[in-house]
Order: sequence, then structure tokens, then C-alpha cells
Amino acid sequence: MLLFRSEEWVDKWCKRNNLERGEMLSIQQVWELSKLWYGNRMSLEYHGRSMEQVADIFKQAGLTAKFWHGQSKQENR
Amino acid sequence: MDEGLVWQGRHFIYSHIADTTRPPSVDEAAAHFGISTEEASELYKELHNRHALFLNTDEMAIRMANPFSGIPTNFKVHINGKTYFANCAWDMLGIPAALHCDAIIDAICTESNESVEIQIQDGNLRFTNDDLRIHFPLPFTQWYDDLVFT
Repeated sequence: MLLFRSEEWVDKWCKRNNLERGEMLSIQQVWELSKLWYGNRMSLEYHGRSMEQVADIFKQAGLTAKFWHGQSKQENR
Repeated sequence: MDEGLVWQGRHFIYSHIADTTRPPSVDEAAAHFGISTEEASELYKELHNRHALFLNTDEMAIRMANPFSGIPTNFKVHINGKTYFANCAWDMLGIPAALHCDAIIDAICTESNESVEIQIQDGNLRFTNDDLRIHFPLPFTQWYDDLVFT
């Protein structure tokens, strides 16, 4: 996941690298997602999470587009 | 492998990074748990296989323990006089979220190469630019196909 000064710079990067644009989030959106995703990462009790828990985090963060859904390999980010 | 050791090992690695800003070597893990280097290597491989971390298996070195990077990157996170490296633009926010600390993030726009500073204070974003964007190039289903690219 890469940082850009604005959407305009994302489009330039995608065009230069011949890549389709993915999802763009604001810093505030990613900060809210980070607190949900990483808030318990330092805990001894953290053993990864299920797909259902991942889906719930995305939902809480307001990420409801298809881009955020689906089955991935075991989640443990 | 003993489940207790697996998760104690994960916790040791994360605590070590929080304290020192760098992942522990296999030898450091072996010394901490009083096990052989070979046993510590097996522990690291087990955590890698469970996606609890991402190893550079050639060197048996931790490349990623998200949100922390084992190598220098363009995403520096300054917390309490220490500088951590994040794996990506998401993880630069993940480090203060994980450590529950104020932070000053020093990053670079991928395309313009301009410096960007973001501050986290009392759990809130401060002094950031509303135009900043983080680009997720791949849908969630593909994140683990190539973690370094993701």
C-alpha cells in the first residue's frame, strides 16, 4: 500500500506503471482501519483472526465495496 | 510444535521490536527461551507458515512482522525517541495503532517523491493534509499472493 499526495498522483503512478487503479482511502480512513486491525497486535492473546473477523473489521471501518470482500489465505496481518 | 511456545515466540518477537525497533535474530530467540538455534529456527518457520510473520528464509531473518518492517523503508515512524520502519503506507499508521502511542510519521509520496509528515496525538490524526491518499492496488483476496508487492 503506497502513499500519494493526492488522487492525481495515484493516477499518474498507475498510468506510468500500466496498472489499474485499486481502492484509494484517506489517511483518516486508514487510521480508523489501523486501530481496528492492529490495536491488539502486541497482545500475547492475539493468534490471528478468522475471515469472519476480518469481514467485521472492514464493515466497522466502513469498507463495504466488493474489493474488501472474499476469501483469502489465512489472515494474520 | 508446542502451541504455547509458538504464541510466546510471536509475543517475544513483537515485544523485542517494540523495545529495540528491530526483530530479534534466531540466536536471540534461542537465548531468550533457552532452546537450541535449530529449535528457534523451527519456531520462526512455524510462525512464518502460520502467517504470523514473513521470513526471509534464506537468511532466517524476519522481513515483516506487520506492521513492523525488518528492513529500512520509506515509511519511518518516530515514537518516544525511537524510529521504527513500517512495511507500507497502511502499516505506518499501524505502528502507532499497535503501540497505542503518539507518533510522528515521516514518509514519501510514491510518485512525486515529496516528503509527507503525519502526526498522531492522543489517538487522533493531527497536522495532516486531507488530500493525502493511500492506494490499495490489490483486492483483499490477493493480498497474500505476493506480500512484498502488496
